[in-house]
Order: sequence, then C-alpha cells, then structure tokens
Amino acid sequence: MHDDTLLTVTGLSKHFDGVPAVEDVSFDVRRSETLGIVGESGSGKTTLARCILRAIDPDAGVVRFRSADGWVELQDLSPKELIPLRREMQMIFQDPFASLNPRMTVREILEEPLVVHRVGNREERLAAVLDMLDHVQLEHDSLTRYPHAFSGGQRQRIGIARALILRPNLVVCDESVSALDVSVQAQIINLLEDLQRDLGLTYLFVAHDLSVVQHICDRVLVMHRGRVVESGVVDDLFANPREDYTRLLLSAIPSPDPDVPLRPLDRRSVGL
Amino acid sequence: MDAVLSIRDLAVEFKTDTGLTRALVDVGFDVPRGEVTAIVGESGSGKSVTANCIMRLIQPPGRIVAGTIEFAPERALSSEGQAPRAPRLRAPPFDIVSLPNRDPRLQELHGGLISMVFQEPMTALSPVYTVGNQVAEAILCHRDVSRRQAWRESAEMLERVGLDDIERRMRMYPFEFSGGMRQRVVIAMALVCHPEVLICDEPTTALDVTIQAEILTLIKDLQRDLGNSVIFITHDLGVVAQIADQVVVMYQGRVLEIGTVRQVLKDPVHPYTRGLLAAIPGLAPKGQPLATIGSVVGDADIETPHPLRRLADGRQVSMPQDSRG
Repeated sequence: MHDDTLLTVTGLSKHFDGVPAVEDVSFDVRRSETLGIVGESGSGKTTLARCILRAIDPDAGVVRFRSADGWVELQDLSPKELIPLRREMQMIFQDPFASLNPRMTVREILEEPLVVHRVGNREERLAAVLDMLDHVQLEHDSLTRYPHAFSGGQRQRIGIARALILRPNLVVCDESVSALDVSVQAQIINLLEDLQRDLGLTYLFVAHDLSVVQHICDRVLVMHRGRVVESGVVDDLFANPREDYTRLLLSAIPSPDPDVPLRPLDRRSVGL
Repeated sequence: MDAVLSIRDLAVEFKTDTGLTRALVDVGFDVPRGEVTAIVGESGSGKSVTANCIMRLIQPPGRIVAGTIEFAPERALSSEGQAPRAPRLRAPPFDIVSLPNRDPRLQELHGGLISMVFQEPMTALSPVYTVGNQVAEAILCHRDVSRRQAWRESAEMLERVGLDDIERRMRMYPFEFSGGMRQRVVIAMALVCHPEVLICDEPTTALDVTIQAEILTLIKDLQRDLGNSVIFITHDLGVVAQIADQVVVMYQGRVLEIGTVRQVLKDPVHPYTRGLLAAIPGLAPKGQPLATIGSVVGDADIETPHPLRRLADGRQVSMPQDSRG
C-alpha cells in the first residue's frame, strides 16, 4: 500500500437474490488519481461504486477509507456513524434531469448538504454556494432559478456543485458525462479535470465509454460478470490488453476514422 | 445522382409559450438510393425532426410550414392499382409533405415503403404481444397474405437479424429479451415489409459498445443484401465513420455541411464540423484539456445562416463566399 492511498477495497462481494453482482473485488485508490471502472451493463460497476459509498450494503469484504480522522472500515459502520463520513465521499450522477429536485431552486439544492451537515451560518453558507457556482462556472443569478431553466450541461454543473460543496476527498462519478452531447461532454470533462487539480479530488470514474475513460483516467479496472478481469495504467492497458474480454471491449469502439474499419471480436470466438 | 428522397427548403416551427421556435430552417439534401446517409448533430440540431418530417410524424404544436420531400420509390404503390412488389414498375415521385392525411399512400408509406428504428427498443415494442405477433403484424398491415405466410416470413426475417431458436423466441415477450436482442427484433419489424428507406434514429445509443458494434454490423450487412437506402441519425462520429456513405451535419435546425464520409470526417470544411470532431475524447492528447466547439470555432460566425454552396470537390457547405471554395 502506498502512503497516499485513500481507499482500499478487499474481497468485496454483493449478491442480489443469490445472483452475484460483484464478486471478490479488490483494489486501491490513491489520493488525487482518477480510477476508471469500465464494463458492459450488468458487469457490476455501478453496484461496486454503490457498495463503496454504502449506498447499498455489501455482503462481504472490507472497504477501508482514509478519513480526516484516520482510517475507517466503512462496511461495519452504522448509518449514524456514516453521516460525518458522507461529507468526504460524494457522488455525481448520470442524468442531470433526474438527479435534481425540480421544486428546489439552485440555492436550495446547493445549500441542502451544508444544512444537513450543519456547516456555517446563513451568510457563510451563501458565500460557500456562490464560491461553488464560480468553481463550476455558473452565473450568480442562477441562485433563484429552478433546474428546468437550465440546459443539460448546466444541470450537470449544478450536480457537480452539489457533490463538491462539502469539499469531499473521494468523488464517485457514475456515468457523469454519458448523457451529454459531445461538445458539452468535452466542457464537463475539462471542468472535472480543473476541479480535480484545484480541489485535490480523487475520482472513481464509472463509465462505459472507453474513449472518455482513456482521456480522463490514470488507471482503470475492467469488470466482467462482477469480477475485475484486468487492471492497470490506462494507456498501457488500452495499448496492450492481456485479457480476451478487454480485447473484445476495445475492438468494439467505432473509430471516427472511416479508413479504420470496425472489426469487433466475436464473443464466442474468445470464449466469453 | 439517383435520389430516393429529395428534401428541399424544409421548415418546421413549434408553437411554444414564448413564441415560435424554428426547429428546421431551409433544410435541403438528397438521400442517394441504396446508400447510407448519416445525419449528425447535437441535441436540438433538428436531426430527429427531419426524420419525423419524412415519416409525416410532426404533430401539433409542431408544423411543417414550408418545403417539399420528394419520394421516388423504386416499386409501384399498390394503392395505385399495381400489385405490391411488382418488379421495376416505378411509381411516379410524389411529395410527402403535401399528401392529404387520408391519402392511402400515407399508410403505405408508414412501415411499408419507409420504416423507422428508434433509440429505445423497449418503447418501440408492445409489452403485451409476443415478438412473433408484432413482427407478423407489420406484414399483415401492409400485404394481403395469410397469417401463416406472415408468420413464416417473420421467422425468416428474425433469423436474418441473428436470432436463434426462432420458433420458441417468436412466442416470447419483449421483456424476456436483452437490449441488443430487442433492437434486433425492432430491426426485423422495420425490414419485414422490405422498405425502400430505413430510418434509424440513434438505434445504438442506449446499447453497450459491444452490442452497438454488432447492431451496426447488422444494419450495414442487411443494407448491402437488401439494397435499401438508410438514413442514420446519430451524435456519435465514430458510428458515422463506420456506417455512412454520405454525411449531413446539422446545427440549430440548419444544414451546415454535406459530403462523403471521408470528406466530412477527414477534411471538414465548416468550423462547426471541425469543432465536433475535435471534441471527441479519444483524439485529444492526454493531460490536455479537450477542445470544445467554442474553442475550435473561435471567432468564426456559425450562427448566421448562409445558403449551401457546392465546392469544387462536390461537397456542400453553408459558408460565406469569401471562405474556402
């Protein structure tokens, strides 16, 4: 383990009605890195992320997190004991239309985490909200507006601001740029990278789009049927995939160069 | 060029609380027969509205306010007294936009001559009918054949789109299928009446990249075998590169660039097209911010409409005279 390790996951498993969703997964996350988790739908990547944050409870395994007060084992904590740790671990969701309450103003949305965690007084909270709007490059007059008045990209900025307002260390991005148009996606990816540098964030980046992962991630885990089949530094892994499943995934990416024909591997021919 | 569809000066407006929104402004392009035309653009560019115009699916508060869509089917229309699928008896071209609502040609159009595959296969399929029933229904709607014959042809088409164990599968319901399998069923439904134009509206966007590759290969192979024309709507330039012969780039309800797939993707002329390409994550060097459309377009004005003009290499761009050409 490195001394800059922020999170270690050991032997994590989660079954739904006896069906394994995550099976014996182990890995480390270092501070300030972006770790990608890729795989097809049903591979267990979202379940894994949720188990780590204790949004759902894992069946087995150890999740150690380096909190402000030292190492804690998340899997055994009671809901009450988890509350202070929630400030340090946050999530950015996929769908900016579904993840914001339509009946709350931007100010209420961004202030709510501060109120829940009893951070600051009214003035301090407003100052924190305005500061966070600056970070995500939204105008201050957004405060009194409702989510419907914003475009998809702007809504995702609000979702990011809500996740970051408590100044977490670990941020789980679950398909956070998948629902966006390519030009908006590029802006949000750039924003996530700027925020990581400015605020020292560590990202767990769950995604199915491998070209986004290649751009934003340092290391990557490839998941298949609940297990991690391969992991490594993203450029090495993409250049020299060792496992057939990784090769299958990479071969399915359509190149934007019309002279590079799509030749996806056949699932059966690689025995999957 | 032999065009199956010729769209000219198409304009669509939507009445909203804040006034009229112009969804399409002077859209015009040809769909070459037997080829794949991709329409690319971001949300709000008008690519789906264009497809809905071809299918005459624009509903109030939307309205086609101007333009024509001339359709030149290869085979004769049965509503004009010809046997269906009579070989090489061309129907006279007609304008889809001005067809009266009760015109029999309209019903023949829907799913018969032009059919559509949507993004979400589960919403395109009925949950309460078996898969076989739904595919066969498409045949029974358009042709005077027995149920037995319709069932047999459905089985053939389902086999062709890659389903196995056909007889059992046909008696199953859509919820028993995976997303990729459902999309194969929808494609079978769309192709079972041998349409001349297949419109695919983001058919792979909801699918995993591995399944997307399978469906793209399937659509391309079927198009090659059946010889139909395809309009493929997508925002993914990787998908465009792999499937298209011709590319139409749309932005804010306007057509900005039309050319062959190599012209548009390897040597884009319009600044917006260049921006769209530069924003693809896989192409940017790591550790550097991605190019956004704004950063590539820079000072170039992409908001002012310019009529399309043809460049020396045959492509069309919406740019002022003094720029490249």
